[in-house]
Amino acid sequence: MRRALLWLVLALGSGPAWAGIPAEQDDCLGCHGSDPALTMDLPSGEKLSVHVDKTVFGKSVHGEILRCTDCHTEKTGYPHDSKPFATKRDLAVAYYDGCKSCHFANYTKTLDGVHYAVMAKGNLKAALCVDCHGSHDIQRASEPRTRISQTCAACHPKVFATYAASVHGRAAGGGNQDVPVCTDCHRAHDIIDPRGGALSARTPDICGRCHTNEKLMARYKLSTKVVDTYLKDFHGMSATLQRNHRPDRRSFAAVCTDCHGVHDIQKSSDPSSHTIQANLVQTCRKCHPDATKEFPKAWLSHYEPTPQKAGLVWATLVFYKFLIPFMVGGLVLQIALHLWRVVVNR
Amino acid sequence: MSASVARFSAKQRAEHLVTMLVFTSLCLTGLPQKFYGGAWAQRLIELFGGIDATRWIHRFCGWTLAALTLFHFSGAVWMIVEKKSRLSMVPTRRDFEDAVATLRYYLGLRDHGPQYDRFDYKQKFEYWGLVVGNVVMVATGVVLIYPTVVARFFPGELVPAAKVAHSNEGLMAFLVITIWHVYNAHLNPDVFPFDSCIFTGKISRERMAHEHPLELARLEGRAAPEGETVAAHAERKMG
Repeated sequence: MRRALLWLVLALGSGPAWAGIPAEQDDCLGCHGSDPALTMDLPSGEKLSVHVDKTVFGKSVHGEILRCTDCHTEKTGYPHDSKPFATKRDLAVAYYDGCKSCHFANYTKTLDGVHYAVMAKGNLKAALCVDCHGSHDIQRASEPRTRISQTCAACHPKVFATYAASVHGRAAGGGNQDVPVCTDCHRAHDIIDPRGGALSARTPDICGRCHTNEKLMARYKLSTKVVDTYLKDFHGMSATLQRNHRPDRRSFAAVCTDCHGVHDIQKSSDPSSHTIQANLVQTCRKCHPDATKEFPKAWLSHYEPTPQKAGLVWATLVFYKFLIPFMVGGLVLQIALHLWRVVVNR
Repeated sequence: MSASVARFSAKQRAEHLVTMLVFTSLCLTGLPQKFYGGAWAQRLIELFGGIDATRWIHRFCGWTLAALTLFHFSGAVWMIVEKKSRLSMVPTRRDFEDAVATLRYYLGLRDHGPQYDRFDYKQKFEYWGLVVGNVVMVATGVVLIYPTVVARFFPGELVPAAKVAHSNEGLMAFLVITIWHVYNAHLNPDVFPFDSCIFTGKISRERMAHEHPLELARLEGRAAPEGETVAAHAERKMG
């Protein structure tokens, strides 16, 4: 008896996936939902499938919200004239504006993005909304988060392969939700051209979002002082001040990615890391071509000076910590005594 | 007897003028680099045309200061070799005694301050402070301009140590000059508002008699004045 009841509940609860699709859809799906082989011939010779899988659409984020005509606004009745799109791609480009009516903010962001800029120059391969999000099968972008990088990989397979082998990519591949995926650094809609220098200039902030987070870094026993120690040193100071003046990358002080790598970041204990002791001189030479074996020690590797870690630097710091107050205090005291004497003598 | 006495040569006055201009420029371009997080610092750097231009000016002035220091040293060495001048800047035991005597006088434990010769202990202190400061600043500054060359011959750790020294020594120099020198050359009631003698090269005989009586006596070919004189303000009313 109990088991029968369970079956009944399950049967009622699950139902067909398209059960929630608004009733008006039935008119469209009458033709477009039944025959998976329904296609249209385009002038380019391509066959355009005009079939919509009810189950897939029903499960998508729009399944229970949108009617077909919300996106296909020109299809107002039957029979409907088909727009003469030459190619499948022309069709996709023509629908670019379609998302705007609801997702205006993200649509506007894409107008500042590198994909839109490339498309505006005439390259129709550049990613559109539907290339990343899909069309009838749209799911929440962040479920699971690691799928985001897979999406980018469709067009950027080489850089994805590099990322997938990095410390972040390997963890992401293993299901880790803490590590960055493509959009964490590049952003999703207003992706800027990484060659311009503006993205590099932002790296201390971008990396710092996670690498200064105490709770997150404690999980991996990583220091949260990496950004502070960087900003206190010559590179951090120069890069911060150059940010407003140097849009080009050539004479820009080193940021995180210049030493640690971009998509190929590894733990600094990994033999292939740019920042492991054995590879450090090579890394320094990228900007300091005449660097020798001792040169990497000119940088304290994000350590704060201590008697053990950098004795000379620590001693110099301590020396001035005492000398400056002693010197200034002594002189001020003498001035005060002199003034007091002047007043007394009057 | 003339009302004023010649105190500084044209060379000495020129050295002071160049040092003053270069030191000011170094502070204006150096301190905002040390405190670059502050809005005032970033505004100042913008004013010089960005960090690269600021750094260029800073290095140009640094090299000028280095050249000036060398020029000054070689002049001093030449004078010593040729015995053209008394070594009036060399600190002596007398200076320490003077310092103690002066402090005792300020505290009311003595009735008079000591008599000074050509340079009093405060002037010698400032002179040697500047000399040592210049040497430290030039040496560490050169390390910071050529870190790769330095790391070829010395331990790499010398570079961050030089940065700490340059940054702190610079701040100390700035504080000493703005507090001590500005007091002694401007705000001190004896010279307020402006001690012009390093610019004109002349000092009044009256001031000489009060501030450098031993030198004045020697210049005028007579024995040191009997008793102890003190600065104008300092005539203590006894009883």
